[in-house]
Amino acid sequence: MIKKFLTRYNFNYPRSLVYMLQSCEYGVKNYLAWYHRTDDFSQVEQRKELDLTVRAKITLIATLFVYFSLIILSFLLIFNLSAPYKIVTLVCAIILIPHITAYFVAFFSMIIELSIKKPIEFFIAKKTEKILKKSNAIKIAIAGSYGKTTMREILRTVLSEGRKVSAPSHNHNTLIGIARFVEKLNGEDALIFELGEYYPGDVKKLCKIIKPDIGIITGVNEAHLERSGSLKTTTSMIFELAGFTKGANLYLNGEDDLVVGNISQDNIIYSRFGIGEYKVNTPSTDLSGLSFSTLIKEREVILKSELLGLHLIGPIMTALDIGLRLGLSIDEIKRGISATKPFPHRLNPKIDGSGVVIIDDTYNGNPDGVAAAIDFLSSLSGSRRFYITPGLVEMGERTEKVHREIGKRLAVANIEKIVLIKNSVTPFIEKGFKEENGRGEIIWFDDVFMLFASLPLLTAKGDVVLLQNDWSDQYQ
Amino acid sequence: MKKKIAVIFGGRSAEHDVSIITAYNPIISSLVATGRYDLYPIYIAKNDSWYSNNKMTGIEFFQKDDYETHLGKKLMISFDEGLKIIWPGVKRRTVKIDLVFPAMHGTFGEDGSLMGLLRMANVPFVGCDLFASAVAMDKVLTKQILAIEGIKTVPYIWFMKEDWDKKRDYGMEKASQLKWPLFVKPVHLGSSIAISKVKDVSELERAIDVAFHYDDKVLVEESIENLIEVTLPIMGNENPKTANIERALNKTEFFDFTDKYLSGGKGKKEKSGNQTEIPAKIDEVLSQKVKDIGVKTYQILGCSGIARVDFLIDGLSGEVFVNEVNTLPGSLYHHNWKKAGLSPIDLVTGLMDLAEERFNSKKDITYNFKSEILKSALGPKGNKIS
Repeated sequence: MIKKFLTRYNFNYPRSLVYMLQSCEYGVKNYLAWYHRTDDFSQVEQRKELDLTVRAKITLIATLFVYFSLIILSFLLIFNLSAPYKIVTLVCAIILIPHITAYFVAFFSMIIELSIKKPIEFFIAKKTEKILKKSNAIKIAIAGSYGKTTMREILRTVLSEGRKVSAPSHNHNTLIGIARFVEKLNGEDALIFELGEYYPGDVKKLCKIIKPDIGIITGVNEAHLERSGSLKTTTSMIFELAGFTKGANLYLNGEDDLVVGNISQDNIIYSRFGIGEYKVNTPSTDLSGLSFSTLIKEREVILKSELLGLHLIGPIMTALDIGLRLGLSIDEIKRGISATKPFPHRLNPKIDGSGVVIIDDTYNGNPDGVAAAIDFLSSLSGSRRFYITPGLVEMGERTEKVHREIGKRLAVANIEKIVLIKNSVTPFIEKGFKEENGRGEIIWFDDVFMLFASLPLLTAKGDVVLLQNDWSDQYQ
Repeated sequence: MKKKIAVIFGGRSAEHDVSIITAYNPIISSLVATGRYDLYPIYIAKNDSWYSNNKMTGIEFFQKDDYETHLGKKLMISFDEGLKIIWPGVKRRTVKIDLVFPAMHGTFGEDGSLMGLLRMANVPFVGCDLFASAVAMDKVLTKQILAIEGIKTVPYIWFMKEDWDKKRDYGMEKASQLKWPLFVKPVHLGSSIAISKVKDVSELERAIDVAFHYDDKVLVEESIENLIEVTLPIMGNENPKTANIERALNKTEFFDFTDKYLSGGKGKKEKSGNQTEIPAKIDEVLSQKVKDIGVKTYQILGCSGIARVDFLIDGLSGEVFVNEVNTLPGSLYHHNWKKAGLSPIDLVTGLMDLAEERFNSKKDITYNFKSEILKSALGPKGNKIS
């Protein structure tokens, strides 16, 4: 305990604070929540390193200045004070300096936010809006707690067969990311935007700038619940998009209960069973991908994709419908769908030298995505199946319920090996698993590093290993 | 309560370093990963002293040049009601071991010596028992026993050191009658140490001298032309099961110590240098023949737990010869078992189950016999002792 307490006096302490602020995307609330639950500051910068952006550099210099100024000031006071005050000052300095430094980091972040970032963002928003207004491209906006990136990539791949399509790369779903993207536009036919929703008004703000022609809502669930506070708030945040793309210009995921509850009559509903008049027939999936057929203009079209899981048929059908609306031929759409492949860290299968199949789903950290992944794993018969997870984060007051549901689903799916990392949420998975009388073996590891070192020892040829979600340093 | 498992490695053997690798990869690393056992790594130094301390949790300890100065206090062992290891001194500590996992290659470990000790201690231990280990360690004895049971081995001759020193010319003449080129091997050594392939008389004499530097018994045998060299890991007691047939795709003329261990290990080589092929691409009939002979050899020698049978195949005639049997394959050949669908953890824990199965099956054997012979024995002068 004393050893952990002393980590506040490490030279690396100020850097750790700034690193974590950056990991929390400069969100003061999350940063302070991390600070209050952390007692060992020597194990902070484990998975990544502080990205020395301009903002990070300024914050780090200011933090180091405050930290060492406080130390020097304390020494000066101690040397100039009489005996009893020396001890009081020394004790106060020892206790308070780390805390003052930590709170300074939060305060400094808020100052930068209000005095620099907000005004800059205002001008960027105006400039971005102007550029997009000039563009003739069809603008497709995607909102949702989960599945946005997958939808974006499917759309981009399918529509690219017949049209010039572009989308901000990676997770650039904020104003700055979109602004950087629009600067490079060059006569595109379609633009696809993911709308990041962190707080109420975020989606609305981005929609005002983009002015989308087509909107897609992929789903609503507990992802980022700690930021929004409730599912009701999350739902209204995401449905801010519906205010800009009404009727048949709004595609909604018919497999999501919270979305279904907000459907209006003219909206287009997509699911694994089809979209509008296009019904899905003979769907199947395995490690090589998925396939199904549908009737388009009285022609039976067999569609194949390397994507894994039947839950992705809905997004593929959405791309098909939008493709037809944009005038793509059936053959172009068919070719586009066959070009869709698993995306990095999302149900992405790889086979190692020993013949072990590893399905990387580490970017999937939401309850619906988890359910889809477990269902897919469950469908793979004839293999010994491993499900590995540290659990999900930011589930707020629904943490226990969500994780017990995961445990129950794993039990019903008859997964042979459940590998869990010891933390505050995984015992709920075990609880749910036992409640449902799961027959598989639960294997525990103290941390993710020990797990990855042991994984080659646990597995053999023919095994299928699903890696579900990954915790960043702030949740360790 | 967790079972207390001792992994014994090192020892006075040319394969001391290989033994450390086997101990850690996969045995200790797998046992640590399960979290189900109290683990005691026991290192036997080259001078035969026994050590165990909690710094030996990873192989890194033995990779430091000065590890011998950090071994700590020597360990004492006791056979009183099982195997106990004792850390002597003021804070004396004694631990009773529930099961031993021998990871010693070559002399004093794989040759049955350690197994004899563990039998005396009446503790379950992994791998082949004393008799199979002792026979398999002697390549000549192995060939002699297999020949009686009708299993083919390549033509050979052998010498004891004493005979070679006295009748060198006779030995050379006898060896010259074999079909050249020849292989010269120390009879009791593994890991291809001091093995030579010779093409003429001067090379042969030098190779025999080298082999006698490491052993007191030397084997000279014919080589196989159109050679297909394969190996088959086998596991089990009464009903042994086989892993994949693994083929050596030799870069040099045969696998020497450097090929086997210093170039990254067989498993890794297969990946980078493609020097082994798992499973071997040989026809199905030949593959089944190798497996059948392998299992038969395993059973003839009385192997249990794990072993590996090496074969030489004449690629033209399809004739299969057993080359040798290894009762503790390096690193348990876990790379091969993994490709056969058995993970390193399942391999290690499965071997422990087999050890307990064998131990329990022998529990009912009575080793004592009550007799009156002592009472009727005569003293040194022929008087009856009263």
